[in-house]
Amino acid sequence: MRTSVKKLVTAVSTSVALMGAGHAAAEIQIGIAGPMTGPVAQYGDMQFSGARMAIEQINANGGVMGEELVAVEYDDVCDPKQAVTVANSLVNDGVQFVIGHLCSSSTQPASDIYEDEGILMVTPASTSPEITERGYELVFRTIGLDSMQGPVAAQYIAAQSPERVAIVHDKQQYGEGIATAVRDTLKDAGVEIAMFEGITAGDKDFSSLVTKLKQADVDYVYYGGYHPELGLILRQARSADLDARFMGPEGVGNKDINTIAGEAAEGLLVTLPPAFDQKAENQALVKAFEDKGEDPSGPFVLTSYTAVQLIAEGIEAADSSDPFDVAAALRDGTYQTPIGTVEYDKAGDMKSFEFVVYEWHSDGSKTPVN
Amino acid sequence: MQDLLYFFQQLINGLTIGSTYALIAIGYTMVYGIIGMINFAHGEIYMIGAYTALIAITGLTALGVAWLPLILIVALVCAMIVSSSMGWAVERVAYRPVRGRHRLIPLISAIGMSIFLQNYVHLAQGSRNIGFPSLIDGGFNFGSGEGFQMSLSYMQITIFITTLICMTALSLFISRSRTGRACRAVSQDLGMANLLGIDTNRIISATFVIGAALAAVAGLLLGMYYGSVDPLFGFIAGLKAFTAAVLGGIGSIPGAMLGGLILGVAESMTSGYLSGEYKDVISFSLLILILLFKPTGLLGKPEVEKI
Repeated sequence: MRTSVKKLVTAVSTSVALMGAGHAAAEIQIGIAGPMTGPVAQYGDMQFSGARMAIEQINANGGVMGEELVAVEYDDVCDPKQAVTVANSLVNDGVQFVIGHLCSSSTQPASDIYEDEGILMVTPASTSPEITERGYELVFRTIGLDSMQGPVAAQYIAAQSPERVAIVHDKQQYGEGIATAVRDTLKDAGVEIAMFEGITAGDKDFSSLVTKLKQADVDYVYYGGYHPELGLILRQARSADLDARFMGPEGVGNKDINTIAGEAAEGLLVTLPPAFDQKAENQALVKAFEDKGEDPSGPFVLTSYTAVQLIAEGIEAADSSDPFDVAAALRDGTYQTPIGTVEYDKAGDMKSFEFVVYEWHSDGSKTPVN
Repeated sequence: MQDLLYFFQQLINGLTIGSTYALIAIGYTMVYGIIGMINFAHGEIYMIGAYTALIAITGLTALGVAWLPLILIVALVCAMIVSSSMGWAVERVAYRPVRGRHRLIPLISAIGMSIFLQNYVHLAQGSRNIGFPSLIDGGFNFGSGEGFQMSLSYMQITIFITTLICMTALSLFISRSRTGRACRAVSQDLGMANLLGIDTNRIISATFVIGAALAAVAGLLLGMYYGSVDPLFGFIAGLKAFTAAVLGGIGSIPGAMLGGLILGVAESMTSGYLSGEYKDVISFSLLILILLFKPTGLLGKPEVEKI
């Protein structure tokens, strides 16, 4: 009797294990980690919408090596602590491929865990250079670096031959990083930097800062950070009659800045990835987004789409779903994607990525200026 | 001359923000003065006041109301009513059932209330920053056309005047009215006041309601002044106002006013002359220094063992 119970238990547990294995063989989980809530949730929407679309289309075309991709979504609120929790739950859930994270300060701590646990990560939005500086094998991105974006902004400002420029940042990894890149390029170009100063993210009162900018009599203000703070600075600068042109990185370029700053957002300069949705070869994809009622024009929609596509093609090229094989395939191959031809260097950065300067308008539209 | 104008501009900036800290700090100080506890949900009540005002303004504008004073008054009244009911409810739910227990218990239940309210607004209004229409535009400019011009906006003037009116009304209420006298009695000795026939429950509720109403005023003013609201902004403002209350001497109403103004000016002078990065460092160092050398705050009375 006792042995038969034992046998039964063994039989049941074996079949459960087999079922589990069979289950895993039929699908590949793709984790999508980014802010669904919190102050920068708007960017998260872009990321999730792009990645979901890619997964849907790949599955509609027969999946990857006959297996279906399954999206598993996680909310990191763009908070470094939450990002670590998310990374740990991805590990527990057995996910091997991640699209994310979005904010550089979340991507950095999460990537430590992914690298240790053998999970391949492609971030569609984090531009901080430090993320790929640590020699990690499994970290990739489908976006450029601050060290590429900052100089584009700085060269634009320098070309306008301003007398004095102020640089303000939010003391976070992304904001301060890009502000430093802008400062260094401007210095090399011989532009006078009147101010280089940090503010606290989440603050609402920028009247002292605006007064100081007014006193410094600057022509251009570069802001490294996100839209909630810049929106308020623009608005408070306008009501204090500050006569300077503002410029920011892609973290400020979305329609939420218009609801905060209103009219004051007119004329803001923003460096963004080029408008991939305007490219002729992407029109079928743009239509697919529009049919779903989604907007493909956000800066991170098609980079997220590309991130999923790269993982899928990497798996096929490697003929294996082992993250290390896929990473090697990504480094070796050349891939045609909606954001152009992608080739990776050893660090996991794209060999070339272009940023474009746009002028932002108070109705939320933008026009390229160079 | 230029430097002087710059100094005055930073002073105005600091006094503006300081007056609103003072309005919020009143809520902390009154509750502490009466029951000796800190109402940690007060920042959230201020945030809810700002949201209610925004909803009222948006609603009225959608209805086609264009007369500014009417919009402001309706928004203010709505915000005060909603915030006051919240203040009353917080006292009923988080304080009254645990009153008289160990001090830590109401403290924890207030923190729970604060987390609940924050997340409630997250769910109901979304977590994004919402723009607040700037209803009061324009202002005065001082200084020559060339160099630095000092500006005093109508919005800043509105903030000063409203704060002044609220503070005067509150002082008169506390010193002259029957309820005010009862408040003072309860604050001196709750048990004795009870024995003498004062309905202490009613007085404690009234304290929460008054504090919440003033926080709603601050919510409307600051929403318009800064230009956006989000569900988390009550927390930081609450922390600053609490610091102001402690700085001025918690439990003392003039102390809350003084503490708010000092904190506001210290912040704007630090960002004006040093760097914005050190703003919070200076204001919290100020707090530590005051607590070290004058633990009861600037205008606080020495008291034996209350929290």
